[in-house]
Amino acid sequence: MSEVIYEVKNVSKRYGSVVALDGANLKLHAGEVVGLVGDNGAGKSTLVKVLSGAHMPDDGQIFLDGEKVSWENPRMALEAGIETLYQDSGLAPNLTVSKNVFLGREITKKGILGKMGFLDSKAMEEKAHAELERVGIAVPASNRSVSQLSGGQRQAVAIGRAVAWARKVIILDEPTNHLGARQAGEVLEVIKEAKKKGLGVIFISHTLPHVLEVTDRIVVLRLGKVVRDAPTSEFTGDTLVGTITGTIQTIPEEDR
Amino acid sequence: MSSSQQPNLRLERFKAVAGSQNSILLSVLIALAIIFTLAEPLFFSVATAGNILTDWGSIVLLAAGQTLVIISGGIDLSVGGTLAISGVTSAWMMTTILGFDITTTGPDAYPPLIVGGLTAVGTGLAVGLVNAFLINKLRIVPFVATLATMGATLGFAIIISNGMPIGGPNDFSLISPINPTWMPFSWAVVGVIIVVTTVGLFLHRSRFGLHTYAIGSNAFAARAAGINVERHLTKVYALAGALAGLAGFYVYLRLGAGSPSSGVMRELDAIAAVVIGGASLMGGVGRMMGTVIGALILFTVQSGLIMAGVAPDWKKVVVAVLIAAAVAAQTLRPQNRAR
Repeated sequence: MSEVIYEVKNVSKRYGSVVALDGANLKLHAGEVVGLVGDNGAGKSTLVKVLSGAHMPDDGQIFLDGEKVSWENPRMALEAGIETLYQDSGLAPNLTVSKNVFLGREITKKGILGKMGFLDSKAMEEKAHAELERVGIAVPASNRSVSQLSGGQRQAVAIGRAVAWARKVIILDEPTNHLGARQAGEVLEVIKEAKKKGLGVIFISHTLPHVLEVTDRIVVLRLGKVVRDAPTSEFTGDTLVGTITGTIQTIPEEDR
Repeated sequence: MSSSQQPNLRLERFKAVAGSQNSILLSVLIALAIIFTLAEPLFFSVATAGNILTDWGSIVLLAAGQTLVIISGGIDLSVGGTLAISGVTSAWMMTTILGFDITTTGPDAYPPLIVGGLTAVGTGLAVGLVNAFLINKLRIVPFVATLATMGATLGFAIIISNGMPIGGPNDFSLISPINPTWMPFSWAVVGVIIVVTTVGLFLHRSRFGLHTYAIGSNAFAARAAGINVERHLTKVYALAGALAGLAGFYVYLRLGAGSPSSGVMRELDAIAAVVIGGASLMGGVGRMMGTVIGALILFTVQSGLIMAGVAPDWKKVVVAVLIAAAVAAQTLRPQNRAR
């Protein structure tokens, strides 16, 4: 297995008296797809927010390429090459496809106008289209507003953006939600492509067949703790459900 | 994930132009002008246009700032109060501190006027920064935060001025920048057009504008894309404040005095102009040109009704109908209904 590119050690996060994450560990290798599963309230979303820089953990360390890092905001994680697709809310519906793809990383005009922040919309439209096609997603014209797209098309744009920009890690929070079978299949293909390119992928989903199909390893969270971290081949659909719900006993993390 | 479609482009383009907010607004404006001309032929004159533009100047500055704030998903109720306090502080600076005599003309008048203008813009900027502080640091929703600063600015404007206009007596040689030099345009109106055009270009063509739309459209997505939402909103409210300060100076030029009552209810005119112009109070939607025409419609209605001899109270009713129509037109549009 290739080297570890992204790792969290012993991270904890409390919201008031609620312990959302309780000493969780997660390792991600280059070219590896890790499934992150757990029931509602298990701490998946919190872990995603820690990994993507949206929240700072109360305790624990984060390592990128073996170096200790600390994200104060999502921008820092983005600039380090970590892309996150958030569940349902990653796009600005009133903006066009290309503006969404380039949001936060706009191409400006040359010269003095560019220094004043004036945008080169044409370049962004062309590049957005090219980038999304390169990722392997057929998307609608880049000058259309996202609010005019179907749920599946929106998801395609969001995933395409994440894959196009990611240099090291992609975190996909429920990317197959609201998608039909064919579209979900396309998303899984995109994940496999990203893996081939050597990116580390963290795949969060409630759709367990998708998790079993596309991941190399599965990390199961329950009540803020990692209760199992094993190669996907060690799980069947039934044992995975049992581990998530707690009907299958797992070894406490500290004893492993 | 269907492939990109190529619908009948020419038909699409025609529909886009004919159905665009600006074309509809312009049609409304022209229709109003025709109706008022039929009611009172004197309405159709350069003098009337000059009056409408002079009234329009102060409100469109407030409305330009309000457009940015509303597109960002907020609201600024303090722009009227900011106009008042900025007019008063600039008049106080010129009259009390610099001993500026209102009847001064020619080049001697420029330095105090420049200081006065900067004082007004600076005052407005300060109010905008207070708004940003309340919203970003104290986490007060924009409606309440700016309601508080609205009260405070209107109150301070009266306290500073002892409730009396500072400056005067009115001298027309001083206020010549406000008089239509090239009918129907005055120097002041030309200045306003330049300022509003510049703000509009930044809104529609620059990164600043894109981030404003993004935050109003989906603040979470904007933050996830690496935008510093708080810092951006600070810029938006500061700019809205500065524009309201400039409007205060415009009104000072117009009255020849800084009047503490000049800002009362002005924020509602500004919001009306923005809403008639097609912006959504939900954020993420709006055009500067819509606001500009929206403000023109407001004062066309006002002038037209007065000239036609209708009681001015009818203006409120007509404006109410226009606001309702503008909002209905927006919510009933096909692409919005589909959601």
